[in-house]
This record gives sequence, structure tokens and C-alpha cells, in this order.
Amino acid sequence: MDNKRVVIYTVGILGIVIFTFILSQFHIFNSSRSFMFIVLLTVIMVLFNEIQNARKDSDSIFLRDIPGLKAVEEAVGRSTEMGRPILYVPGIMDMNEVETVAGVIILGHVAQMTAQYETGLDVPVARSIVMQAARESCKEAYLSQGRPEMFNEDMVHYISDDQFAYAAGVNGIMQRDKPAACLYMGKFYAESLLFAETGNGIGAIQIAGTASQAQIPFFVTACDYTLMGEEFFAASAYLSRKPELIGGVKTQDTVKLMLIGLIIVCLVMRALFDLDIVSFNLLDMIG
Amino acid sequence: MRFLEDIIVKFGSVDRRVIFVLIGLAVLVPLLNPIDLAIRPTPSSQRVYDAVDSIPDNSKVLISFDYGPSTKPEIHPMTLGVMRHILSQDRGHKIYITCLWPDGLYMAKDALKIINEEYDLVEYEDYVLLGFRPGNEAVVKGLASDLRKVFTVDAAQKSINEIPMMEGVNNLNDFQFIFTGSAGYPGTFEWVQYGGDPTGVPLSSGTTSIQVNEVMPYVQSGQLQGILAGMPGAAEYEKLIDTPGIAIQGMAAQSYGHIVIVLFIILGNLAYFITERRERKY
Amino acid sequence: MIWKRYIPIAIVGFFGSLTLFGWFIENEGIKSFIDDDATQWYDIIASFAIFLGALNLLKLQFLKVLKRKVGWEYNVVAILSFLIVFVIGFFMRGAFVVDIPNTDIQSTYFTQGAAEEAVNHLKDSGITASITPAQWGAHIQTEGGLFKWMFDNIFTPLSATMFALLAFYVASASYRAFRARNFEATLLLLAGIIIMIGRVPIGSLISSWMIMYLLVLVIGILINTYFRSRQLVFGWVALGLIGVTVLGSSMGWPIDQPAVFFLPALQEWIYTVPNLAGARAIMIGIGLGVIVTSLRYIFGLEKSYIGDQ
Repeated sequence: MDNKRVVIYTVGILGIVIFTFILSQFHIFNSSRSFMFIVLLTVIMVLFNEIQNARKDSDSIFLRDIPGLKAVEEAVGRSTEMGRPILYVPGIMDMNEVETVAGVIILGHVAQMTAQYETGLDVPVARSIVMQAARESCKEAYLSQGRPEMFNEDMVHYISDDQFAYAAGVNGIMQRDKPAACLYMGKFYAESLLFAETGNGIGAIQIAGTASQAQIPFFVTACDYTLMGEEFFAASAYLSRKPELIGGVKTQDTVKLMLIGLIIVCLVMRALFDLDIVSFNLLDMIG
Repeated sequence: MRFLEDIIVKFGSVDRRVIFVLIGLAVLVPLLNPIDLAIRPTPSSQRVYDAVDSIPDNSKVLISFDYGPSTKPEIHPMTLGVMRHILSQDRGHKIYITCLWPDGLYMAKDALKIINEEYDLVEYEDYVLLGFRPGNEAVVKGLASDLRKVFTVDAAQKSINEIPMMEGVNNLNDFQFIFTGSAGYPGTFEWVQYGGDPTGVPLSSGTTSIQVNEVMPYVQSGQLQGILAGMPGAAEYEKLIDTPGIAIQGMAAQSYGHIVIVLFIILGNLAYFITERRERKY
Repeated sequence: MIWKRYIPIAIVGFFGSLTLFGWFIENEGIKSFIDDDATQWYDIIASFAIFLGALNLLKLQFLKVLKRKVGWEYNVVAILSFLIVFVIGFFMRGAFVVDIPNTDIQSTYFTQGAAEEAVNHLKDSGITASITPAQWGAHIQTEGGLFKWMFDNIFTPLSATMFALLAFYVASASYRAFRARNFEATLLLLAGIIIMIGRVPIGSLISSWMIMYLLVLVIGILINTYFRSRQLVFGWVALGLIGVTVLGSSMGWPIDQPAVFFLPALQEWIYTVPNLAGARAIMIGIGLGVIVTSLRYIFGLEKSYIGDQ
């Protein structure tokens, strides 16, 4: 982090702390949550600052390569060559999950590629609202590529709300239609391995992306590429290269650095408190 | 030696259907011919046991059935074990049952049927089946603030106000212990974040083995009083309460299944090393 | 344009900000909205939206039947199953309880006709019984009722079967993927084996001394692979075996000591120390990702979810 940023953030955080202190004098503000309020405003401040920086010069921001995202275009190309469709699974949860929204956004990018390459796209979903959102995303993607005639509403279709009924339906689609590429992007539970192993069995190239901690090992084991946790949320930034989104990725890294610093400070302060060198417990103040 | 190496290399590329058959046999045979294996309770299971044991007399205990038939073999023994533990203490505890999953209602009815055969419970005196309400974490938040807003009637459509056991029960603070058998969402996380942690009511949970990883930080921080981890956790709890059930019966099958997987992994790696060595040679 | 683009962004921004900042405000109305109403509004919308999904499902199934596509017979099964369960759940009670007063004896029948027949039989035997239809709502979970029968005998076995597939798939995935290709893969492989064996009762039957002997032999193999010295290998293996034997004899061969080689203790350590540290770090990273992504949606910086590329 360069010196200018350090100064901006330090001054910013001080300002936020003072603002929070003033707010806590008012009855309407829940002062027991002051620390979280400071953290929230800090993240917002960093987000807007990084977006501004990215708008000025996004090319200078280094984003490390994520093989899984590079492989998406490769997967679409493979499907086109083989004349087989792409299967896209946006998770099994509803649009109230951030992962599902991220999955629908990536679907938009994939749909742009399938429109460009004239490849079939099959999107079975487990929730009706996701079906509508995914349809909208695909429709706009095909329109933006000038291929509205290639879009068919039924490419996004509903199977079942039930976890294993959905898994059975998707597995059936895989076994019958034999897609050349299977993309799993969203929130998953136990059905993740069912998808991945079946996809492996039909010889499809598989790319998974999820922030579901428990399912990441299954995807890593059975898929060709896996976007783990934050990589999944950064995917839309990688694919679109929009400054607003790249700024968001930079924000995550910056806030992470700040958190590491805070953890070290808390560790040291707690040690000093336990050794009776200081009389206050910083952890109690933070709550 | 060469002959042995060739056999091992063949194992490296065995058809996965062979693996399926062997796993099937490894699980089926011990289930048909039960084998007794010594169960050693882990610290996390012991913590759950101690938490249930230390519930004060005449407590109100809330048990949430947040799983369905697919995970019933893993979690049902846990909820049965906890209910048996509570009832066997004979210290005047009352059980209140909720479900965050629609399937959970059927699991709860099934559990009550089994427990009733052992303890001869009287509905509305010993237990109340409040039932399922849609809303996921909103239900937990609702229970934490105003239970009577969430449940106006119980699962049998009887008004809450007509149930003597519900007198004085207005929110989660009126309970002395919460246990959730959870298979995913909504479940343990929602109970910790919106139920146990804000109210300070002791909370324990039983989850599928795969979820334990995610839930462990809450156990370490004390927000969860221990965790029953999958079928092994359920078996450990059955051992602790000295009431063998289906979890203990299933441990032999699980053990042999794991051994078969490990053997295949070892053979697969041996085949890999032999193949690599031959390729380097030639 | 306004309808499709600006109004959705405004709705997301308003309700997102209200829910986010409302958590810091001490106001009963806002608290009630955030804790109860917001989620319930969503659930109500999602519940009505189920009709869209169901109609789409039926439409596609019907089309496949009409066009006689490959496997159309299964689509007929899907349509019939949907309709049967729908009718039973919404229009048929399927649960008529025949009760003999002043006794605990009761029996549940699927239809009114069957219940009446049972009552008539009892009447002929001089026993008076009454029929109580299950209440709407409670009828789906009444013991002995048709819906419960379907749940117990059709839905439960099907769900359990799908979940049971995981056992086979875990085996084939592990077999295929757990190869010691490099240091990290070897570490993953060893940790996986220790957890798999240590987690089950059979792991506690394996003495830590057996693990120590195994380690001596494995290290001997590694020495032979890298140093190719017979004296070194022989020396190591002989010393190792003698050392472990002497140590074991002096300690009385306790099955769980030294604890570092006892698989259940080792797997507990792996679970609660390195695994937990990694899990926490991933959780924090994911949490940050969720926060920043959500802020992007709330402030309208990301609009792709409404199709705005």
C-alpha cells in the first residue's frame, strides 16, 4: 500500500471514529454496535476510494491469474467444437444468497460467450425467482451480442426446490445430453459431489465456483478448475474488467490487510493486559 | 516382483463400478452381521453430554429438527439420544419441539413415536410439538423476540394459549437449553447467530460430518456447547448415555467403508509410483 | 428503461441500506422490519413464485410427452406424480381417524369410505366408533394418513438413496484424486487417511506402536529411494525397530501413547488446530467477499443481476 493511501485511510478511519462517537450521543444510535459501525463505514470508504483509483487507472491494478476463469472460455470453445451444449448450475439456493446472485452474474458472462460461439446453453435451476433472474441475465447477454434469435426462454428451466430431486434431475440431464462443459457457480450443499462425479463420468470439463466452505474440497477433488471463496466473488470483476468491480476486489485485499493489522494489535494488547502492563482489555472495548 | 507390480498397476486404473461394488459390500455385510466395536467419545461429544447433564431441574428445553429423510441416519440418532438423555434424568424437564425444515416435522413425529414407546410421554404435559414455520432465520429471530407471534397454534392446530406447558414461554430467553439437529440451511449457523448468541441461552448442535469443519470455530469460541459430528458423534453420544442405538450399529459399516477407501487410495498411489518409475526408466 | 433498470436498482438500494444501517438504529419499527418483515416479505414472494417454476416444469414435461422425445415415459411419470401429490395435498384429506371412545385404540384410513366401512364393522361387533377427519394443514402429518404414507414410503427412500450415492462417489473421487504428486498433495493424502481412520472406532483399535513401526519402515523405504545405501537403510530400520520395541516395553505398550501417533488423538488435533485455522481464514475471506459484493449491489455498482451488462 503506498503512503498516500495509508494517509487517506488513517485520516478516514479517524474521521469515522469521531463521527461514530458523535452519533453515539444520540439515543437513536445503538452504541453497543459502534465498533461494527466503524468497520462498516471503513469498508465503504475503502470501496469508494479504490473504485475512484480504478476508474483513473485500472490497468495498473495487478490481478493475479485465476486459471478457473481463463478456462471458462476454453470450456465454451470445447463445447462448440464438440457440438455439445454447456450445462450451467447456479447453485441450489435462492436469490437472497449473495453466492446465487454472483452465480447469475457469471451466467451472464457465459451466456455472452455462448451467444458469440453459437453454443447451446442449459441452465437447470432449483428456485423460481432464480429462474426469472437467470432468464433476464441470459436474454440481455444474447441481446448484447446481437443474437436475440438464439435465446430461448426454456434454456433456463425449473426442476425442483428439493435438494436431491434437483440433483437427480441435473444428473439425468448430464447422462442424457452429455454436455461438453459443466459449470457449477453458486451455493451448494451435499449435491456438489453428485454433480461433479457424474460430470466426471461423462468426460465433461468441469469448472466450479463456490463460497460454500464444506463443498470446496469436493469440487477441488472432482473438478478440473475450482474458484474458491473470494475468487468466486472476484470472478465478475475478472470477466468484465469494469473499474467498479476491480475496485471491489482491491477493497477486499485492503480490508484484509487492515484486519490482519487489527488482529496483531489485539493480540499484543491482550498479551499486555494479561501481563498487567496495561489496565484495559481492548477486546472488551471492541465487544 | 514384476508380476506383483503389474497387478498393482492394474489396480491403478480399475473401473469405478468395482469400487462401488466393494464399498457396497463393505457397508452391507457389517449391517447384516453386526460387529461390536469400542466407541471412544471425543471431547466435543463429551461437551454436549456435559451441557445436557448440567441443565437445571425443571428446565424448558427447545429441540429443533432441522433435517430431512436424506440425513436421517446421521442426525436422527443424535436427537433421539439427546431426548433420551433429558428424559432419563427424570428431573422435570419439558421438551418443546420446533422445525425449521418442512421435512423436520416428519422427523420430529417419528422421533416422538419412538420415544413415546420408551417413556410413555403425555402430550402437552411432557412435550409440545410446535411444528414447522417457513421463514428460515426469520423464525429463529422471531422466536428470540416473540415466540407467540411465530407460533399461534401448534402442529395439531391447537391454540398456544390453551396449552398449559406454554404458560410463561414468550421467547427464547424462557428456555434453559437449545439443541438443534441440523443438516444445512437453515440450521446451526442460524441458531448460533440469531438464537443462542444474542440470548445467551446454552446451545448445542448435532450436524452431518461435512458441516463440522464450518461449525468448529463456534465450538472453540464457546458459542456452541460442543458438537455431535455425524454418525460417529451420534454413536459417541449413545455410548455416553449408555443406550446403544442405530448409530453404534452403523459404526462397523462406516469403519469398514473407510478402510476400503483407504486401501484403494494406497493401492492407487502404489500404482501411480510404479507407473511413474517405469515411465522414467523407459 | 426506467422500469427495467432504475426502479429495481432503487428498490435494492433502499431496502439494502435500510436493512444494513437499520441494525444500528434503536427503533422498534425498523427493528421489527429487519428481524421479521423483510425476510417474511421475501418468503411470501418466493412462495408465490413457485407457481412460475411449477408451470414451467409441467410445460416442459408435457412438451416432451407430446413430441415423444427419448424417455417420454419418464415424463409421464413426472407429470402424474406432480398431479397426484398436488391433489392429495390440497383437495383430499387422506386422513380419517376412527376412534373408539374411552380407549387408546384408533386407526387412520385414507378415505372416508374406508373409515365408514371400518366403523360399520365395529358396529356389527357391538363397538361404537367415531370418525374424525384430520384438520386441514395437520392432515399432511397425521400418522397413518395418505400424505404421511407417501412421505415415509416414497419420498424418504428416494431421498436417502440419492444421499447414499455420496458414499460411492466419495470412494471413487478419493481413489482418483488422492495421488501423491507433490508435497501438498501428499500432505492432503496423509491428512485424509488419518482423519478417515481416526474418526471411526476401528482407528482406536490401531495401537500407536503399530503406527510407529510403520513409520520406521516407510522412512526406510524413503532412505533407500533417495540415498540408495543399504547400510543406511539397514541401520535405520534396525535402530528404529529396536528403539520402538524398547520404548514400548518400558511404557507397557499402552494403546494410546505416545498420543501423537494415536490416530484418534491425531485426527482430533488435525481437526481442531490446522483445519480450524484454515477454516477460520477461509471464513473471514468469504465474509469479506460477501460484504464487498453486497455493498456493490446496494450502491448500484453492480447491475448484472438485472441483466444490465
